[in-house]
Amino acid sequence: MTALNGILKDRVLLIFLTSLVLTVFVPDLFGSYWAIVALNLMMWVSLTQSWTLFSGMTGYISLGHVVFYGIGAYVVASTFKVLPLWVSIPLGGVVAGVLALLVAIPVLRVRGPYFVILTFGLAELVKYIVLNVETSIGKSSRLLFGAPTIETLLYIMIGLAVIATLMTKLVSQSRFGRGLSAIRDDEITAETVGVPVVKYKITAFTLSAVIPGMVGGVIALKSTYFEVLQVFNPVISFTVVTMAIIGGSGDVRGPFMGAAFLLLLSELFWATIPQIYMILVGLFLIVFVVFAPNGIAAILWPARSRDSQ
Amino acid sequence: MDLLLSPQLLFSALVLGSTYALVALGLNLVYGTMRLLNIAHGDLIMVGAYAAFWFFTLSGLSPIIGLPLIALICAGLGLILYFAIFRHQLENVHPVERIEANSLLLFFAVSVIVQNVVALSFSGSPRAYRHLDEVYHLLGVSMTANRIAALVVAVTLLSAVVLFLNRSHYGLSISALIQNKTAAKIVGINVSKIQILSFTIGFAIAGVAGALISMTEQISPFMGFPFTIVAFVVIILGGLGNIKGGIAAGLLLGFVEIYVVVLTSANFRSILIYGLFVGVLLLRPQGLFGKTRAS
Amino acid sequence: MKKIVSLFTLLVSAFGVFAAQAADPVRIGYSIANTGLFAQAAPSQVTAYELWAKQVNDAGGLDVAGERRPVELVWYDDESDPAKSAQIYEKLISDDNVDLLLAPWGTPHHLNVAGVVERHGFPMIGNTAASVAVREVQPGNIWFPTSAIPDRIGVELAAMAAKAGVTSVAIIANVLPFSQENLQFLVPALESVGIEVALNESYPPDISDMTGLLTQIKAANVDGVIALSYPADSFLYMGQSQEIGIDAPFQFLLVGPTISAFSQAFGELADGVVTLGHWSPHQANWSRAKPFFDAYVEAYDMKPDYLDTALAYMSCEILQQAVAKAGLDHDKLRSAISSSTFDTINGDVKFDGVENSITPTAFLQLQGGDMHLVWPENIATAAYKAR
Repeated sequence: MTALNGILKDRVLLIFLTSLVLTVFVPDLFGSYWAIVALNLMMWVSLTQSWTLFSGMTGYISLGHVVFYGIGAYVVASTFKVLPLWVSIPLGGVVAGVLALLVAIPVLRVRGPYFVILTFGLAELVKYIVLNVETSIGKSSRLLFGAPTIETLLYIMIGLAVIATLMTKLVSQSRFGRGLSAIRDDEITAETVGVPVVKYKITAFTLSAVIPGMVGGVIALKSTYFEVLQVFNPVISFTVVTMAIIGGSGDVRGPFMGAAFLLLLSELFWATIPQIYMILVGLFLIVFVVFAPNGIAAILWPARSRDSQ
Repeated sequence: MDLLLSPQLLFSALVLGSTYALVALGLNLVYGTMRLLNIAHGDLIMVGAYAAFWFFTLSGLSPIIGLPLIALICAGLGLILYFAIFRHQLENVHPVERIEANSLLLFFAVSVIVQNVVALSFSGSPRAYRHLDEVYHLLGVSMTANRIAALVVAVTLLSAVVLFLNRSHYGLSISALIQNKTAAKIVGINVSKIQILSFTIGFAIAGVAGALISMTEQISPFMGFPFTIVAFVVIILGGLGNIKGGIAAGLLLGFVEIYVVVLTSANFRSILIYGLFVGVLLLRPQGLFGKTRAS
Repeated sequence: MKKIVSLFTLLVSAFGVFAAQAADPVRIGYSIANTGLFAQAAPSQVTAYELWAKQVNDAGGLDVAGERRPVELVWYDDESDPAKSAQIYEKLISDDNVDLLLAPWGTPHHLNVAGVVERHGFPMIGNTAASVAVREVQPGNIWFPTSAIPDRIGVELAAMAAKAGVTSVAIIANVLPFSQENLQFLVPALESVGIEVALNESYPPDISDMTGLLTQIKAANVDGVIALSYPADSFLYMGQSQEIGIDAPFQFLLVGPTISAFSQAFGELADGVVTLGHWSPHQANWSRAKPFFDAYVEAYDMKPDYLDTALAYMSCEILQQAVAKAGLDHDKLRSAISSSTFDTINGDVKFDGVENSITPTAFLQLQGGDMHLVWPENIATAAYKAR
């Protein structure tokens, strides 16, 4: 009940959730092109929220989040027309969670930049393992003809975005979340005051992998084509981290603002000045970090941002 | 088994290993002194490669002769970026974790900009040129002249940097800063001056590495990313900020890559390289040659 | 809401009619991989589109069933993401209301976009897709002028190697889809013509040194080497096989030698290398081939990619000739494309279903720093020479 109270009291969060749900009308109002834009937005919101659940709260920056997305896509693609989608998409989430659980124990012993690069390396390792498996069974790429329509996928993705947002919110206002923040502030102190550091870190890491696993599956269906290098593309990890940092906070507002802001900005440049839009997005990012080093959340809600000094 | 003892493999391993060591060296300097995670490092290598390509194509200037010029171009780029962006971060942003996170984002943006500016200026098509491609035979090894040149330059430069860090006044200050920033400040080292120095040297070395690589590979605006990855793998294996460790790790990686293909199968090349990397970090979280961390 | 939107559309198009007057441009849309994984491959295609559009405009415009109208290209960056490419075609058709479409780059992009053009009934000529999967695409709105389809490549390459007197080969293959698909068809084809496969190894796309592989090939003492490679590894192979001294008389590289940078780097050192490609400016029977080559070199100061640029330009030519005949109406255009024979830089092209039924699967050889068709004999511009 207190959890529900916390959600109901947070007006900003309610506005976010309402706007997420309202995107179901996008296909009808604006046509299928904007439906895909909305789908992408929901994808980035889900990914960035789930990244924040672990990395934002604990300060362990993961640069390998794409691995969970990729493994989920692989589960859905490899069981396409074998398992029904309502089984295979959640299965992708489960497999991603199990993968996270397996690697969490050793990986979380490493801190700081070592952790950043280790997660990145781990994602590359899994990418090449999957690539080898696919090659050895003679499946270098897979066609997924007969996938659901964009509208259906959008509805699923909206659901994932809402769940990811609520999950992060619930965690952040719980005892568990306060423990994670304590780990970020000072892991050793946290341990001495009785936070079960290892257990908390592993739990958060595992939780943060489940949503990307399902997101990856849905995106594979959107592409109707599965190729290992596409779904394990490290740029996806970079983009998630970028969005989270631009958003700039350890709670649910940052990821939402970051994802929406970066996506809409690049959409705007992309459609109007295609030759140089990437350059503009890059310049904008730099200007942004220089003038707002603590992110959007710190500007909009200065008192509440936990990252302000 | 005969194959394993072939001097041909040894030569290739040395060329590849010293290239890896050189590619990683600049990154290690920038991270070690400033804790900036430069994921645009490979793109600087690309800039060096393009500079070499254009010097050679337009004026016939050999990249080997043009190395100082290419180094200067990349160092200049480094200076501009330092004063335009990074000085502000280093001086005004706290704590250091936030600098690390912001630097990741800033360099991501730099990477995107550099790639796209080069693509826009020179098109995205791959390019290449012919230089020093005659083959020499020595002690049962066949060697292409440009690979010999790359090996010689890389080894010379690596030794020079190690000497510089161990012997010269500035070099010692850089080493001190890498080891302990607070202590370096206390003993009167001008931290921001040393940071500028490491930043520009790091960029210059990346440019040189790019020029060497451009002699043997095709170049394109998007060639940088794999080098960024290699550089990070190497400096983590060697222990972040540990310059000699990084050089050793670069050579090690070169040898692993060459001999693994012969011992197992080319198919496992990437799995084994990343497997080694992940494995080492799990067993020795401070890297192969890293000391226990002092933070 | 929908009503308001359509009313608005009606108003806009009404104004459009008044504004149209004489030479309203024909807007042609496509997506390109300006950034991302395929960004270095895409220029080979886009340069063809831009050259073609310039030529058409310089000649007074596109002949639309008798009326001359200027051509305007509308494009967006698909970031090498096939799904984004599909999204762009959706936008081009429903938001930008383009008159015609050109293809995106690469097999996955074509397959993704196929669904969109099918849904809108909008005809599009493909170009740079090469996979047996193109045959699974619903025919009617998309056509593939390429003859570089892996199952046929395997058979033809085996036949060519046998004719060249090859008895044993070493195969190395990238693990990426196009290479692996070729591998799948090549090995049985080689066996059926009695060529022994002495070595068959795959390697990852980020391989950075081939010394180990090449030493093994050298030790295998074969008279043919078939590298099912992508551009970067073709490059690696060529440089390092020189060093190690691989002297097999028959050496084949899958993708790469047709790219301008390849001949810039190796010149006559790469002489004798065979590669995939069905076009050459030297084929005198194709009257449009040489003028295209010259115009391209003049415009871009580099040679066109014999495979991708040629295919991209062909798709423009086919579209141009179909529009001259049928105008812009989708139904008429569709039936014109399906039933006519087109005169292209690659000779005559006619479609049977989604496939080009005239152009044979062919191979090029580097001879004297230049590319010649050497297989099959009916279109060869030079005889195959052992390396």
